[in-house]
Amino acid sequence: MTVSTAPVAEPSAADQSTRSRPPSRRPGRAREWWLGAVLVLPALALVVMFKLVPLVRGVITSLESSSGFDSGGFAGADNYTRMFDDPMVLTSFRNALLVVATLPFWVVIPLVLAVFIHQRAPGWTFFRAVYFVPYTIAPIVVGIMFRQILAPDGPINALLRTVGLEPLAIEWLNGRWSALFSLVAVALWSFFGLGVMTYLAGLATIPEEVMEAAYLDGAGFWRRLFSVVVPMLRPTVAYWSVLCASGVLIWLFPLIYALTQGGPGDATMLPEYLVFLTTFQFLDRGYGSAIGIALFVFVALLSVFSVRHMFTEGTRKPR
Amino acid sequence: MFRRRFAGVVAAGAAVAALLTACGGGDGATDGPVTLKVLTWEPGGTEYWQQVKTTFEASHPDIKLEMQSVPFDKYPEVQGPYITSQSGPDVMANNAGLELFDRRGAYVPLGEKAAQINKDLVTYSGACEGFDTAKPCYGVPFSYQGNVLYFNKDVLRNAGLDPEQPPATWAEFGAACDAVTKSGKTCLALGLSGTFPAYWDFPEIARNYLSEDDIRGLLAGTLSWTDPKLVAVLEKLAEITTSGWTNKNAPSITMLPDGADIFQRGDAAFAGTIISDAVNWEAFGKALGDDKLGVTRWPVINADAPLAKKFSGIEGAVYGVTQWSDKKDAGLEFITWLAGKENGELWVKYAKGQPLNKNVDPSLLPSSPAFRTIQELVADPTLHAGVMLSGPEADALARGWQQVTLGQLTVDKWATQMQQALERSPTKKQGK
Repeated sequence: MTVSTAPVAEPSAADQSTRSRPPSRRPGRAREWWLGAVLVLPALALVVMFKLVPLVRGVITSLESSSGFDSGGFAGADNYTRMFDDPMVLTSFRNALLVVATLPFWVVIPLVLAVFIHQRAPGWTFFRAVYFVPYTIAPIVVGIMFRQILAPDGPINALLRTVGLEPLAIEWLNGRWSALFSLVAVALWSFFGLGVMTYLAGLATIPEEVMEAAYLDGAGFWRRLFSVVVPMLRPTVAYWSVLCASGVLIWLFPLIYALTQGGPGDATMLPEYLVFLTTFQFLDRGYGSAIGIALFVFVALLSVFSVRHMFTEGTRKPR
Repeated sequence: MFRRRFAGVVAAGAAVAALLTACGGGDGATDGPVTLKVLTWEPGGTEYWQQVKTTFEASHPDIKLEMQSVPFDKYPEVQGPYITSQSGPDVMANNAGLELFDRRGAYVPLGEKAAQINKDLVTYSGACEGFDTAKPCYGVPFSYQGNVLYFNKDVLRNAGLDPEQPPATWAEFGAACDAVTKSGKTCLALGLSGTFPAYWDFPEIARNYLSEDDIRGLLAGTLSWTDPKLVAVLEKLAEITTSGWTNKNAPSITMLPDGADIFQRGDAAFAGTIISDAVNWEAFGKALGDDKLGVTRWPVINADAPLAKKFSGIEGAVYGVTQWSDKKDAGLEFITWLAGKENGELWVKYAKGQPLNKNVDPSLLPSSPAFRTIQELVADPTLHAGVMLSGPEADALARGWQQVTLGQLTVDKWATQMQQALERSPTKKQGK
């Protein structure tokens, strides 16, 4: 390697005068800026109309007291402070934390299945379709369907009794804990197909040679999964994790509605269902909005770290 | 170029004018019939409502009815946005009592017209504020509702019981349940996921502990849930499930349709439901056969209680004219007709329900033995405590009953939760 010692030419006066002048491309840039603004404007208008305005409206409503459907007065922070003394609200957020604790299942199960399909395990074309089918069934239908399936004398318990697992044939929707985790399991059954598809899209971006090389080096399935696939799929895993973290707290409404209505007692009461109950059954709009805003903050806090990580990953320059 | 632009402007102007005419052309501005939009859950069934539409329109050529029918359990959430946005139907339904009281801001007070309409009705004033006809009334009822205990005569007979002598006291009911359980059947078909059983069974126990003043106190929110009388009501409600009188899976299934299905399949001796609309004597009679269906008052707990042998009667669906309607006269005409003799007879004939209008021809009444027994029971009515509950109270009653059944809650804590629910109720706070 050589280093040039030749002197660098001084910029000429002509060059200097050119630099001091305004750039000749400015009109072009202005045009680009306006074009960009025009293209972004419709999306911006939609975001303002359908996201920002309802959010601001929700915040305003949460500061109002309400009496049935009559318009209420200003309540200040009363609706928010009231939440701390309301056992149902506290239980709903505690249940929400329990649901969030199941996130590893939401992230790992679809990933494993997607890798099996990607590795063309026997019957992979069939399973690719089968896994996605539950996602295409309306959640309210899934709820009604599973109410029958999980019934004390339903097919699941009949199967357990047939194979000699009688003690496991419990009343799935009757217990303090079994009801919540049955609900989560049904939700997972309903949504994991979307996760499989998401991971398959990510897996398609991994060069085949890398996987083949790992295979030839003698890496088994789990080794390939954790040492090759997961590191290369980090953005996809992060995306799916964010979607699940927020989704498990706002996807479950139709299933709760059809399966348990928040019961037995408050066992499956989640904040989103409590918002519905408070607003439309108890006619307490201000308080319902306050619970909704609290849920929004809860979900935002859960998602912010993953979204930040995704943004860093997405904007990182290739080495 | 100018011509093309001019033609474009004229065309656009014409289109806007046409659109404005279509949107703004109120019924009052045209010579055609007025179209009334009616929000209903179709109590009594679709066939009855088709008859309502046909018959009413035939006698009122200047008014057309446009029905928006919503399933009963989805009704509040469909109605809520209409009320909050102050737009939508011209006529809407609500159940009598606190549900209507909660939503009364959406309705036009009927003023003196109410007295004129009510004069021919057997009424409990549930369409009026505080169950008091001297106060504003917001709607017009036409049907009669309340709770009874249906029983399957075959199941009782097979358990060694006399189906012609159903249990009349709490002790007799317990003994009957033991016998039915021994015979391999469920005693009382029940589904606790949802508010219906709490709503229906609570007043039947409450009649044994509360006076009419106490029930009005419940409506006003002045009767505490920690009052010994109400705690006793909760204790007896709990006893229904903790004594093993019901199906074991009651907490996780709904009353409609699951609990009612158990009874309709012939797997249970008793079912506590209503006398009009869905899951009444007619539906059970069709499923089991009219000759096998019996009906009785809920068993008496305290024979000395003044209301123990009365019937918890209440109007069924109440129809009122909305505040925002620009067809109030037509709306009033329709709801007045609903309360009249002609519709009362349609109600009896097609919905098989108990009419409120006193002038309905008695020869039209169904001949079913169960219906005839109901006629005797309803002759001595009192206030229905269930419709006095606010949304949070009805919800806490249902959830608490589930938890008590599963052994997760004591009755005392249930009473505390009920009191908290009362204090959370925005409408009862308003009533104070």
